[in-house]
Amino acid sequence: MPEHVILFTGPMGAGKTTAIRTISEIDVVSTEAGNTDRAAADKPTTTVALDYGEILLSDEEKVRLYGIPGQRRFEFMWRILRERAVGMVLLVDNTAPDPIADALEYLEAFEELLDRGGVVVGITRMDGAQDPSVLDFSRALLAARPGITVPVFAMDPRLIGDVRLALLSLIANIDMRAAFGRAEVPTP
Amino acid sequence: VTAPHKDPAVIERGRAALRELKDVCRSLVYATLLTDDGFEIVSLPADGRDDSRLASMASSIQALADAVARELRIGDSEFVIIASDSGHIIQRRVPGEPIVLAALFDDDETLGKALSISRLTTEKMSAHLAATTPHTE
Repeated sequence: MPEHVILFTGPMGAGKTTAIRTISEIDVVSTEAGNTDRAAADKPTTTVALDYGEILLSDEEKVRLYGIPGQRRFEFMWRILRERAVGMVLLVDNTAPDPIADALEYLEAFEELLDRGGVVVGITRMDGAQDPSVLDFSRALLAARPGITVPVFAMDPRLIGDVRLALLSLIANIDMRAAFGRAEVPTP
Repeated sequence: VTAPHKDPAVIERGRAALRELKDVCRSLVYATLLTDDGFEIVSLPADGRDDSRLASMASSIQALADAVARELRIGDSEFVIIASDSGHIIQRRVPGEPIVLAALFDDDETLGKALSISRLTTEKMSAHLAATTPHTE
């Protein structure tokens, strides 16, 4: 059975665990611990190793979903998980002080996935902050990686339709790259 | 409420616990106390190694062990052992606290003694902290 390993990445509190729990068809394996760093994200728990879930795209195609710990101090887990992945859903909290900088930071940290598979960006909490817009993100990502298409979505990680749309777009992008090479857009 | 790694009383109690561990177990090479979410509280010896990185790794290992125990429905994980050619690492929770002990013993130590001493250390620290002010968030 063909399998895709997809990472959910992004800063602490962006909605990675929620998104995997929303879409997974199995009980999610979580590694949450009490959060003692409320200044970084005001939530009671935080992922310290990984989240794991699965969905079947068809009888013949499984997607393994791994959520990373968002904090930089768990970077060693990023490397472990990155080695197996073919793509990532990068989630960014739009109410953070500089969400575009957050997106670019994680895009750089997982840059090899741009070449190996694909990346989509999901902007969360847009109900709390309209700016920057989806278009602003798209422009910033294109400026940072000219010629590489990175689809950007507004996403509520609690809504299965939102998460599924981003994930299926990523899978389609990965499959297209596998068939035709890197998806490119004309540089201005 | 102060997080354990920022609480001077917890840090001092932790330092004392690690010293006592070293006093009764000369084969102890290195030990660190960390929060469940991977912040170093105190380490022994403080010899310049990247203690914060080790604390993060120990936190992940502990959480993965807990996840496996949950998955297999075998109750809470009691301790974690990483055995190697030149020693063994033992990780244990401090009972009732969001704190983990990770201790490296050289290969002069029997695994049984290392497990026993690490258990006594965590239980003693738990009893001491329970008798003082709660400090977790």
